[in-house]
Amino acid sequence: MRNFVNLFTFALFLVLSNVAVSGDVGEGEKRYAVNCGNCHGPGGMGLASYPKISGKEVSYLIDRLNTYRSGKKIGPNSDLMIMMAKPLTDVEIDNLAAYLATDPAAKR
Amino acid sequence: MLKKSKLLSAAIFSAATLLAANGQADTMGTPKISAMSIVNGLENPWDMAFTKNGDMFFTEKCKGFSVKTKSGKINKLYGMKGTSGYNSAGDDLFCEGQAGMLGIAVDPNFKKNRRIYVASASTKHHGSGCKDNFDVCNGNIIMRFEVSKDMKSVSNRTDIVNDIQYKPFESDHPFGGPGAHNGNRLRFGPEGYLWATTGDRHKGDIPQHPTLLGGNVLRIDTDGKAHPGNKPPKGFDKRMYTYGHRNVQGIDFRPSDGRAFTAEHGPWHNDEITALVNGGNAGWDPKPNVAGRGNCPDKYCGYMPNQKEGMLPAARAEAGTPMSDERFKDLMPPAWNNNGLSQGTGSAAFLKGSQWGYWEGRLAVGIMGIAFGGTPSGMRIDVIDITKDGKAIKSVIQMPTGLTKRFRGLRLGPDGALYATVDEGEIYKITARK
Repeated sequence: MRNFVNLFTFALFLVLSNVAVSGDVGEGEKRYAVNCGNCHGPGGMGLASYPKISGKEVSYLIDRLNTYRSGKKIGPNSDLMIMMAKPLTDVEIDNLAAYLATDPAAKR
Repeated sequence: MLKKSKLLSAAIFSAATLLAANGQADTMGTPKISAMSIVNGLENPWDMAFTKNGDMFFTEKCKGFSVKTKSGKINKLYGMKGTSGYNSAGDDLFCEGQAGMLGIAVDPNFKKNRRIYVASASTKHHGSGCKDNFDVCNGNIIMRFEVSKDMKSVSNRTDIVNDIQYKPFESDHPFGGPGAHNGNRLRFGPEGYLWATTGDRHKGDIPQHPTLLGGNVLRIDTDGKAHPGNKPPKGFDKRMYTYGHRNVQGIDFRPSDGRAFTAEHGPWHNDEITALVNGGNAGWDPKPNVAGRGNCPDKYCGYMPNQKEGMLPAARAEAGTPMSDERFKDLMPPAWNNNGLSQGTGSAAFLKGSQWGYWEGRLAVGIMGIAFGGTPSGMRIDVIDITKDGKAIKSVIQMPTGLTKRFRGLRLGPDGALYATVDEGEIYKITARK
């Protein structure tokens, strides 16, 4: 019985972990290329006063994009990100997070 | 006239693009363009300045300024607070948002006096004047240095202008962070005086203000004193050559007549190239409760109306605050308005030398690319043919550099090549040959 519980817990962990990284990296890269790179630069390297977002954790990126999409301000230039995040779907947010978490700027 | 010039520019652009792509000779004198990265691994390089020998000084917004000597060696000369590796540093110099160490210029008599000039954000002259965004806040300065003969150090820092406005706090605007709109491009004019651009720093009354230095083009001597020939309106600061600007980050002088032209960011509409007139007004006035407007967030109407949503640029220009308000009798009308778009027009340099073919004497304009509210990004360098009277253009051609970068600074080198800083951390050398 104990073995079964351990196995179930491990399986649940795997499932939840998979949820956290379930975005499609390739699709995220395509979506990033649409307009994110205009400010954040190639691979999210950060340009001018726009911050580096490459290599951030998936959970952080999803939380930030969801927060902006809800219209909530979390920094001095939030209005710009709110405008950009409003049209994003859940799937697009997952994909973007998956892509940026691979630290694409470091691979340039 | 404008329709004709658009058709002409489209035809020329198509021809130039095809020729560049095919690498074939042409009969029109279109130069062949090639671009090469000459410095990389930088952090927000902003501006460059050259000695006649080819030594290149350059700034990095949050780090300091360095020199790449003619031999190719880079010496880090003067850093900002918290940086390392520089020969010396100023603890009062800082970066925040768009502000930091920006423009740089070499004295025309450098060989004799070893002087260079650098613009930066600084806490040194704040005093108690930065309590809120409506306070005076002198936080942008222009410094003069002397460079050692071995090009490894600088000394004798003198702050020749210490009262240019700075935005100290966040405000309720897009791009509303502290440090907004500083201008800060430095160039020597053909008469040997220093020209410095400044920005409105999101304070509504600044551009039309008679004494606060923001939204101006200054013409000063190398001690920071006004050029005796400046003709601002009565009661205005004598250092002002022009006023009523938003955020001028490009300035250069037409080789044929020495006339100054600026490149300026628009507020989600109408980037502008403007021929300056001594004492003239660029027509930017983002104050609330004027020109039919009511109140605006934090007393600044620069993004109105509907400032938090995308909107057709033409509709915003019509309903909001115009870049060049025609109610001013001393208005300097723009020669070009980027077809009504705002895409981050931030630098300008006239092309000199026969290697540029029929582009010789035209203005190269660096555009960073800003894509909000449906505006196409448009990262590019445009080559603009401006009419003799400076009030219109004949054509616009996109330079076929093969680069899609945020072009932050342009400067013609002593070798006749065009140099470009890009936000991606590089400096490019762009050469032309017939």
